[in-house]
Amino acid sequence: MTELFSYSSIDDALIKLDSLGGYKNPEKVVPLKGAAAHEVAVGPVHAGVIEPGHFRFQCMGEDVFNLQIFLGYQHRGVEEAIVKADGKISRQIALAETCAGDTSVAAATAFAEIMESAFPEKFASPDSSTLRVRSLMLELERIANHVGDLGALAGDVAFLQSAAFCGRIRGEYLNMTAMLCGNRFGRNAIEPGSSLVTIDETLSQQLKEDISRVRPELDRALKLMFHDHSVCDRFDGTGKVSKELAREIRLVGVARRASGDFNGDVMARALVRRVEINEAHDKILKILNGEVLEMPPQSENKIASRSDFTLVVSTVEAWRGPLVHAAIFSSEGKMEKYKIVDPSAHNWQALAWAMRGEQISNFPICNKSFNLSYCGTDR
Amino acid sequence: MIKALLARLKEGFRTGSFPATPPNLPPDFRGRPKLDFDTTAEDIDEMRKVCPVENALFYDEKGACLDMGRCIFCGRCARASKKVEFTKEYRLGVFKREDLLVRAGEKEYAPPIETQTEALALRGSLHLREVSAGGCAACELDANVLATPAWDMARFGIKFTASPRHADAVYLTGPVSKNMSLALEKTFQAMPEPRFLIVAGACAISGGLHELGSLPEKPSLYIPGCPPHPATVLEALLRFVGDRSYDKSR
Repeated sequence: MTELFSYSSIDDALIKLDSLGGYKNPEKVVPLKGAAAHEVAVGPVHAGVIEPGHFRFQCMGEDVFNLQIFLGYQHRGVEEAIVKADGKISRQIALAETCAGDTSVAAATAFAEIMESAFPEKFASPDSSTLRVRSLMLELERIANHVGDLGALAGDVAFLQSAAFCGRIRGEYLNMTAMLCGNRFGRNAIEPGSSLVTIDETLSQQLKEDISRVRPELDRALKLMFHDHSVCDRFDGTGKVSKELAREIRLVGVARRASGDFNGDVMARALVRRVEINEAHDKILKILNGEVLEMPPQSENKIASRSDFTLVVSTVEAWRGPLVHAAIFSSEGKMEKYKIVDPSAHNWQALAWAMRGEQISNFPICNKSFNLSYCGTDR
Repeated sequence: MIKALLARLKEGFRTGSFPATPPNLPPDFRGRPKLDFDTTAEDIDEMRKVCPVENALFYDEKGACLDMGRCIFCGRCARASKKVEFTKEYRLGVFKREDLLVRAGEKEYAPPIETQTEALALRGSLHLREVSAGGCAACELDANVLATPAWDMARFGIKFTASPRHADAVYLTGPVSKNMSLALEKTFQAMPEPRFLIVAGACAISGGLHELGSLPEKPSLYIPGCPPHPATVLEALLRFVGDRSYDKSR
């Protein structure tokens, strides 16, 4: 039991990333030779309003031969800070929530469910209303991020209508989250054992009205984009990650589903997001209509105990894919170690592979179709 | 083409009426905090027990104090004690670090308007270079929102620009991680003078939940929040450059 969830598997994955020329070996730059060989360096400060990372494109003429991704600019020691804050739940949960700002709800849920599994005598097992709040907020987070990314994808192929519509509509979903807890990113709502938010009849009604108003507008914006030839032409066949490669590099989440059921290009990742937006809406309406009374916990918690240490792992299906939090507690209940594995940590390599043979001009849509987290990976 | 035009017609005009009218804030919005006039050191101790941030609340010779530069506006202190409440005041941006300290028993609040003379020259054309330095990206995401049609800050001539060469100010978010120090310094130095540093979010102001790294210069505008609401950011930027063009009463 312990071996199955030990750190060795995470390390294994990192070693695998390294052997593929991963970000842990920035000095390992592959030299290219020839008249057409050149390098393009981008970052850490990007042209857009986004997080820092350094990309180095090694090109032969117009074509990208290899893309190296150097991360680590966002490292601020979140895991160490969570261990140091042991005993102060409010600080720990705030740190977990700000590990990656766009995944705050999933992170808070993962942390809360770790504490509930580790200390059942201290934190009550969450009741159905608490689980409903967590589920609802998680789905709102999923929709907001997918909508934002689809809009940005449209913007990156200069289809500005959908970009503008989606940009505005994403804000509507953030405002719905803020209606619940006062914070547009769903912070300060989830706590171990309970929820600081209750969904009463008025709030439920308000949310249902908002969704029935915004959903057709969103459909219109997405239909416009997916039915446009110029958009489809740019998305189709761009940034392909094959099913075999996806398995080999252990891709997860949206990107993995796009490489399994679909053909793994930018269009596939966009379509998976569109499908997930629809499913998330259905789930939210079911929760609000009271059709789902018994909710399972978001995470699949695993506990492995030895006489002196307990390891708890919780996995939440965040919008990018499975977000894994793991903690080791001593027999006195002291937190010894905390680890966060964002789905992005598995998927950054896929972006590099997707760029092979593409032109740099396709980098924005390849990048946005994954939209991986820098801070979640750097922690 | 017809479909695109029809969709455009149906979408209509979506830019909110803010700042000409007050923003549409959620019912649980937590704005500028207010400390009761008789807040004691014991009350502060009680609140500190649940406060996620170190030293956001303290008691010194001047009495009880809440540092908005450190506060992440989670509202836990207000749940633990009746001596503090979070008002709906969203105009949080200030030009001096000490103005972020909320003292007990403070009466009327009006946001400061005494800005730098050089900043006034940027009215109608303020170009910002965003530098994200070790934060969680929520501040960046909510800064991006200002460029969407819902807020459309470009109507005031405020824009995020791709290069520091074209920028008037660095809009800094995040606690300045060790690995971003150099990039931040170089970006700041690449801007033509006069140049400003704008810090947004608890991280960039004080480190927030983390420790603050080194800043290239003393900030000219502080925008607190975790992350600051888009209305807070837009109002602060407009006040920074002395823009009252939206005010119909003038």
